[in-house]
Amino acid sequence: MPQRNPIVMVDKILDAEGDVAHTGLTVTDRNYFLEEDGRMAEPGLIEHIAQSASAFKGHKALLAGEPLPIGYIGEVKKFHCYVRPAVGDELTTTVTLGAEVNGVTLMTGETRCGEVLVADTQMKIFVE
Amino acid sequence: MTKEEIIAKVNPLLAEEFEVEESDITPDAVIYDTLELDSLSLVDLVAVIEHTFKVKIPAADLPTVKTFADLYNYIESHQA
Repeated sequence: MPQRNPIVMVDKILDAEGDVAHTGLTVTDRNYFLEEDGRMAEPGLIEHIAQSASAFKGHKALLAGEPLPIGYIGEVKKFHCYVRPAVGDELTTTVTLGAEVNGVTLMTGETRCGEVLVADTQMKIFVE
Repeated sequence: MTKEEIIAKVNPLLAEEFEVEESDITPDAVIYDTLELDSLSLVDLVAVIEHTFKVKIPAADLPTVKTFADLYNYIESHQA
């Protein structure tokens, strides 16, 4: 997950406790995944949720004094996009980490814009 | 939960989750082969068992859980 320009899809971790974190992203007019209609393409939401999970794992590693891991999307399951976000939208994503086996972590992600549910999914993140 | 109750719960659960015939799930069958697991779907098995029986299977214990009989015994011996 190239969490580097031009594909930076997480602005900040809002909070993190136990296995749950919240991240934030403001959709700007420079967002890599914007389409001609001024809205984000669905893959952008997958990338945003995956980067949220990876940022959370990185946050945990930092707190534990471990080197920053590199995360890869292993699998995306049950992805639903309910609303494609528009420029100016403030997205908040809840990431919940589940079982982990041999570097593969099961997680669920849910993205909202205010109270509106934007997308949700299940993923497997492989962290090296 | 008794061993019989565990089996009655595990078999249909895994048959649905991994889309295999319940009849293929027999005590001596090898889990990896029967459920066609790989490194990604292995975490689904751990998650399903953890969610259903509140039994956490650490990665270090996984090599000891080869057959479904091993799984039933593991769940039975690790229940809260």
